[in-house]
Amino acid sequence: MFVEDIKNDFYNLLLGNRVLLLVHYDVDAVCACKILQDLFKCDNISYTLVPVGGISELKTAYDENNEEIKYVVLVNCGGTIDLVDILQPEEDVVFFVLDSHKPTDICNVYSDGQVQLVYKDDEENIPNFDDIFREDEDEDVPDENLQGTERLEAVVERRRERKAWEEKRHTLMFNYTQFSYYGKPSACIALELAVRASRCNASALWAGAVGCATHSALHLRPPAQCLLDAEPLNRCLHTQRHSTTAHVVVEKDAWLPLYRWWSVEGALSHASCFAPKLKLHASSGASRLRQLLADMGFPLQQARQAYRSMDVELRRCLLTALETAAPKHKLPVPTRATFLLQKPHAQPLAALDTVYAIMALIEHETLPKAEGFQKALSVLQVSGENESLKQGVSAARKALEAVARLAHSILSSRGLLLAGPFNYFIVQEGTSESAMVKGPLWLGEAARWIASATSGSKPLVASSPLPNGQCLLLGLPPRYDEEPHNLFGAAFEQAAQKSGATVILDYVDTSILVLPVSQRTQFLDALTALLA
Amino acid sequence: MFGEKVIELLKESERNRETLSPFNDEMIRQIIEEMHILFKLNMNDANATSENKSLWTTVQVRHSALERNKRCLLAYLYDRINKIKTLRWEFGSVLPPDIRELLSDSEYDWFSKYSTNLATFMRSLGQDIGYSGIDLTENLRPPKSLYIEVLCITDYGKLELEDGDVVMLKKNSRHFLPTSECQTLIRQGILKQIT
Repeated sequence: MFVEDIKNDFYNLLLGNRVLLLVHYDVDAVCACKILQDLFKCDNISYTLVPVGGISELKTAYDENNEEIKYVVLVNCGGTIDLVDILQPEEDVVFFVLDSHKPTDICNVYSDGQVQLVYKDDEENIPNFDDIFREDEDEDVPDENLQGTERLEAVVERRRERKAWEEKRHTLMFNYTQFSYYGKPSACIALELAVRASRCNASALWAGAVGCATHSALHLRPPAQCLLDAEPLNRCLHTQRHSTTAHVVVEKDAWLPLYRWWSVEGALSHASCFAPKLKLHASSGASRLRQLLADMGFPLQQARQAYRSMDVELRRCLLTALETAAPKHKLPVPTRATFLLQKPHAQPLAALDTVYAIMALIEHETLPKAEGFQKALSVLQVSGENESLKQGVSAARKALEAVARLAHSILSSRGLLLAGPFNYFIVQEGTSESAMVKGPLWLGEAARWIASATSGSKPLVASSPLPNGQCLLLGLPPRYDEEPHNLFGAAFEQAAQKSGATVILDYVDTSILVLPVSQRTQFLDALTALLA
Repeated sequence: MFGEKVIELLKESERNRETLSPFNDEMIRQIIEEMHILFKLNMNDANATSENKSLWTTVQVRHSALERNKRCLLAYLYDRINKIKTLRWEFGSVLPPDIRELLSDSEYDWFSKYSTNLATFMRSLGQDIGYSGIDLTENLRPPKSLYIEVLCITDYGKLELEDGDVVMLKKNSRHFLPTSECQTLIRQGILKQIT
């Protein structure tokens, strides 16, 4: 069931009640959670926030915290599974689901009030209720007044009808669940709620901006959709008072992660949208990068030093120089309208940088996930000194360096293998990078890097080692940057059935799974056979 | 003579307005002695002659000095009582021993009576709406926010709130709870306030 009025049917119900907030470990969820938290704080809604990593964690978190709780808000988790079936809640518990993972489970859509989906996405082609559900338990009981053959015919007719309906249902469901993809960022929906509640301040806007930037930076949505998603945000920016405190602005900026915290050369050679196109993994890569810098008119010495201490003239003309030099090297357009947080007496902070900082904190090399999550939440704070942000940025730089090293070594040592319909690569255990890409976010970044270095017209499967002889498997669709509908969710499920591997389908994103290393080959063989 | 001591006494209490100074037994005894002397002298002069009006002025001056001493002493005691009253709100019904020493015996009696009265009053509050009394001394200034955001640092287990809700305190979960419920847990190092 969908919520019609986001304020009256969702938020106002929460007022005065205790709320359980279950938040998935991803950047968009952190942003949405930040906005909701600020709203709850304003209205004194007491809440309990528990970050969850997968479906089993969702279940334990719910079981531990469900006492006396009537309202549960799920951010970026739970939409794609049948909540009532999995969590077995009491009759009067209501779940509000704010999930950008699609497709939404059909049982959640047609739940009678217990599961309420906060936002209705028009892109989803949800099958009609009558096509999916049908109440005819009383089959084979024809009318009493029919006799003999007539009665038999009626039974047969009814059975045939039922069979046709079942077939139709099957096709519909297949088409509906075939691809997994992402919908509008949850942070944008949370922001709309904040606007409706007249509590749209710089902090909420910033969290919304970071949420939007996430989906375009991680290629979760087609670029055109990303622009449309940002529309409510742009609307609010104009109404924002230009005060002397922190505020969010839209400006043309280079789509280079972390260049304000790095050197220009460093940022260019670690950006997953440019570096693969420059073929930095090849031996001639370094000279191509130097050529690009020369075309931009940046002396090497300047390009190698920290951006903030670079020549002011060069800093000013960075955007134009990049724009003119990029087409020559067949690079994508390097500048975009991006969201920046401007603070008095401080350099602006790009939403893109924050995305990477949060990513690095959630999947930190050493920090436990839950602690990283708490730090990630404080990265979004807009005023005052932000220690978490600094920590996040340095972790993100480390992670990007590791991803670049990994991609280079795989590409140059022919670690990318062809398995018929798809390519795959395996991160070997024991390498220094393997600890960095043990989570799906950074493994995805590495996979996108490799896919874009190899034209990306084939789907890609990436695998990295986990402790205890398990490994992580992640599927990337072909041409991920244009059409990010992911076919691997359904494929993985079927391949697991066919190969008989003991896979753990615990991730909310179905295109990620965990399985024992010993069964990986067997599983990939089954996948090849399936997709061929 | 003539109210010098009592002024000194008042000045002393004026010097430390915020704090309570020890009850100045010695000085008060001296002042009362002085008053006795003045009274005796007046008695003698008044009884000596009823005709001689030349002494009247002296008697009058002594009398005003007497009255002045009395008023100043009362002011001193009243000021102390006000301070003791605030002590009750700050420290509760049991005074720390070092403060107890500053009070005279009769002042301490007054304090206990005041304390009992206040407690009875607070217990009687809000009975019509089902509360068994309200502790008025809890929030002397209105709190900035009724709820605070806390992060749980250790696995604590279940916590039952005053309104009957049960909260599961597990490591790295965040909660938004009533300030009054959290304070002891924050002091114990189970929760951490997030600013």
